[in-house]
Amino acid sequence: MRGARFLTRRRGVAGSGRGWHWTDIATWVWLVGGTVLMFGPAVWLVLSSFKTPAALAEFPPTILPYAQQTMEIDGRERPLFTVTTPDGTTQTMAELRRVGIVAQMVDPAAPEAEPLRVNIAEREPLREIAFATSNYTEPFLRFDFWRFFRNSVFVTVVATALTLLTNSMAAFALSKYDFRGRNAVMLLIIATLMVPLSVILVPLYSVVSAVGLLDTLWGVILPTIATPTGVFLLRQYMLTIPDELLEAARMDHASEWQIYWRIVLPLAAPALAVLAIFSVVWRWNDFLWPLVVLTSTRNYTLQIGLNSYAGELNVQWHYILAMTVAAIVPVVLVFVFLQRFITSGIASAGLK
Amino acid sequence: MSLGARVGAAATAPLRALAAALDPAMRGWQRLAGRGGMIGLFLLPNLAIFTIFVLVPIGLNVAYSMTGGAQVFLADRPFVGGEQYARLLECENHLRPRTCRDDTFWTAVWNTARFVVLQVGLMTGAALVTALILNRSLPAKGFWRAVFFFPVLLSPVVVGLIWRWILQRQGLANLVMVEGGLEPVNWLVDRFWAFAAAVGVSVWAHLGFYALILLAGLQAIPKDLYEAAEMDGTRPWRVFRRITLPLLTPNLAVVVVLALIRAVQIFDEAYVLTGGGPGTATMFLTQYIYETGFASPVRNPGLAAAASILMAGVLVVLTLLRLSRQRRAAQR
Amino acid sequence: MGAITLEAISKSFGPVEVIRDVTLEIPEGELCVVVGPSGSGKSTLLRLIAGLDRPTRGRVLIDGADVTARPAADRGLAMVFQSYALYPHMTVRQNLAFGLENSRMARAEIARRIDEAARMLEIDGLLERRPGQLSGGQRQRVAIGRAIVREPVAFLLDEPLSNLDAELRGAMRAEIAALHRRLGRTMIHVTHDQIEAMTLADRIVVLRDGRVEQVDAPLDLFNRPANRFVAGFIGAPSMNFLTLPVPGPGGAVTLGVRPQHLRLVERGLTVRVEAAENLGAETLVHGTTVTGERLTALLPGQLRPRAGERLVLGHDPADEHRFDTDGRRVG
Repeated sequence: MRGARFLTRRRGVAGSGRGWHWTDIATWVWLVGGTVLMFGPAVWLVLSSFKTPAALAEFPPTILPYAQQTMEIDGRERPLFTVTTPDGTTQTMAELRRVGIVAQMVDPAAPEAEPLRVNIAEREPLREIAFATSNYTEPFLRFDFWRFFRNSVFVTVVATALTLLTNSMAAFALSKYDFRGRNAVMLLIIATLMVPLSVILVPLYSVVSAVGLLDTLWGVILPTIATPTGVFLLRQYMLTIPDELLEAARMDHASEWQIYWRIVLPLAAPALAVLAIFSVVWRWNDFLWPLVVLTSTRNYTLQIGLNSYAGELNVQWHYILAMTVAAIVPVVLVFVFLQRFITSGIASAGLK
Repeated sequence: MSLGARVGAAATAPLRALAAALDPAMRGWQRLAGRGGMIGLFLLPNLAIFTIFVLVPIGLNVAYSMTGGAQVFLADRPFVGGEQYARLLECENHLRPRTCRDDTFWTAVWNTARFVVLQVGLMTGAALVTALILNRSLPAKGFWRAVFFFPVLLSPVVVGLIWRWILQRQGLANLVMVEGGLEPVNWLVDRFWAFAAAVGVSVWAHLGFYALILLAGLQAIPKDLYEAAEMDGTRPWRVFRRITLPLLTPNLAVVVVLALIRAVQIFDEAYVLTGGGPGTATMFLTQYIYETGFASPVRNPGLAAAASILMAGVLVVLTLLRLSRQRRAAQR
Repeated sequence: MGAITLEAISKSFGPVEVIRDVTLEIPEGELCVVVGPSGSGKSTLLRLIAGLDRPTRGRVLIDGADVTARPAADRGLAMVFQSYALYPHMTVRQNLAFGLENSRMARAEIARRIDEAARMLEIDGLLERRPGQLSGGQRQRVAIGRAIVREPVAFLLDEPLSNLDAELRGAMRAEIAALHRRLGRTMIHVTHDQIEAMTLADRIVVLRDGRVEQVDAPLDLFNRPANRFVAGFIGAPSMNFLTLPVPGPGGAVTLGVRPQHLRLVERGLTVRVEAAENLGAETLVHGTTVTGERLTALLPGQLRPRAGERLVLGHDPADEHRFDTDGRRVG
């Protein structure tokens, strides 16, 4: 690491490490600008998701979520305003009703008093920072959001489990046995790398329809689990497990299946973990294929549900934004806990 | 235990439970079919799924592309020979989609081509700069890496929605414009800006992934080369040109090819962001295939299949390039 | 129990013939060391006996029963691998128990065998550790322990000491010898180290290019090597070979003398010194004869011959070996 300092330390005056070289400035401009650009949108999303529909419609928008204060008068919530009275002082008043540009307002301290008529140009809504949590609770209660969420969890968990099982079995056979046709199988798997889903959309749809899985979650899951990337990653890792271990196990009366699950699976755990994480992210985020397969709303995954809500004529952004945040949460959790793991996985396997 | 071992143990625990349950049956099978039978069994699930959901569709795709009509099942579809391809490819002037029999297809082709060039160029450049900067000795390295990387994990739908919200008429982008004393722009309604947004958002979402690959490449360059250069009094720019860049070239090639493969298939985030609009300004190939095959009022699976085969041709070339590059990178 | 017979065994990997027509009989209870240079096929020979590889031709018999087609696990043998091949994700106890559990042995019996083996090898304190937490020597013991608990008819050891440092290797060598005496089971020990072979073996099998060159007790091998290869391979420093000016009786063309057997004499072979290495008690002299043949001599005491100096060397005729044009021993 010591040598890295040459390129990486602050340059400064004649490489003395003191002062600022232009590359240092460029570095920090890039980092800070990058942070604003990369994080900004996500932060904006989260802040917006707590705004009321009225606040969302404002321009210019406020940074933090505000809501107008209200007070209960005569059994109804009345909005509060700061009113500039003719004598120049300001006073907090509640609006009873409004006709055109004139509002009838009362002093909340003396609600029984005769209402004052106030021109709406002479008042400002009284606002406080407030989180509209109903944006989050209502989609879960009123819409199918909870169902979408469960569907997505089901697809993700089942697809990942099956991916790990089938891919590790195939990788085991391809890395630890010498058999005729092994190269042919490898070539076949490499070849499928060239055929992303978007290329076989039409025939895949008819195959899934022929096996009766159209508009089912299994129809979403099955075509995704035989990932060539997964087989490759695991095979590459299993090649590093010494054959002598397998031979020792064979001398120890282990069956081939036992060698697979009692020796090779535990030893390939780091690679399986990488694949598991990626599979979770892939399946959670899948869009095009579920979009094609799933037709009835009750089978939608989260991504399809979100897209369909966002595609409605009257987009209810306050719900959409909150649901988007909710859809990110699992991925963020995975990221926060396993960041190092994910990044090293990408660096070593180059997969996504 | 290391983090990897713990995550691995968690990931494999249910797997091992399942395997344990299968153990007696597998023992029996091995006794019956021998080791060869076991090899077959290990390969069977993966190969069966491959066959049903990848190989068979590949074959069917060709068949579909030579049939017409809107029926889903191949048996119901009339054979039309090369008609679908003719419909796609016939143009007076291929550079002008309006002169083509299927003008949407050619609009999508040229949109995709423009997108690929712009997105891959911008992203590779930005990823290289990011990787070079992250390779310097910085405080809180992990944080900075996370900053650039985290959008990679977001779903395309989420990415599309975030930016749709920011780029809407009364969104954050226009707030910034107004604060900066500029006229607000109707980003997603303007043909030029909508296309620019599709490119920019795609770069935003994937930049971190490629930066990470390049960073790994940079870190693999032996440090003593830099020390030797320092002893020789080599100027920094020369060090970059003569040491860093040549040694990074294999990784850079992998990144470019990988990014090309992805860019050609662009769909999800652009579709959620703009829906292909305004008009067909951001209509890309995959969206054309999807809409022709599934979403348009008059479905034409044959045409969609023919278009996807044409796209597959491009992808096959790129993938072969990728494999050869990866092999070369691995040899270094 | 544990007599192993190889009948005309050959093994090819593709076009490469690694084992050529090996016939060998290892009686019950013998510690047989297979020695040879790297690539001589000695590990392959062991794997053929173990059943990890199948011979291309020939038969393997254990106690008279043909086991050629029998899988490795069912031959009643135990193997100690060069890399030890301990399961890294299991504790020492689990490593020892794995094979026994697989053959459905009763828990109590498994525990008894593990305790006994652990005591014998002094690894009782390590049973709950994983291989990664053990030193090289400890791993070696566990690997041997895993073989012992299976109570096999014969032990197969594939270069078990090659991963240890010199000091530990000496100690483990003695332990293996002691273990062999104590267990009384057949052991086949493969090594490239002739000192290991000489010190451990009841009998040594010398292998070259997949062929058996000689099978004999260690000292017989040293004193009466069957051919030039064995003569040169066994004994350090290597035997000197000098061309006889006229073929001797029986067609002998080469004379072999071990460096230890050369002495300074009045009349004999004149050697020009090229270099001398003082080992303390002895001096190793490298030189050339008048006819230009290279020669080494291990002379007692501390001599300081200068390069270019001439020494006159001789030997006892009883210590000389003669070989014919094919390298076979004469007389």
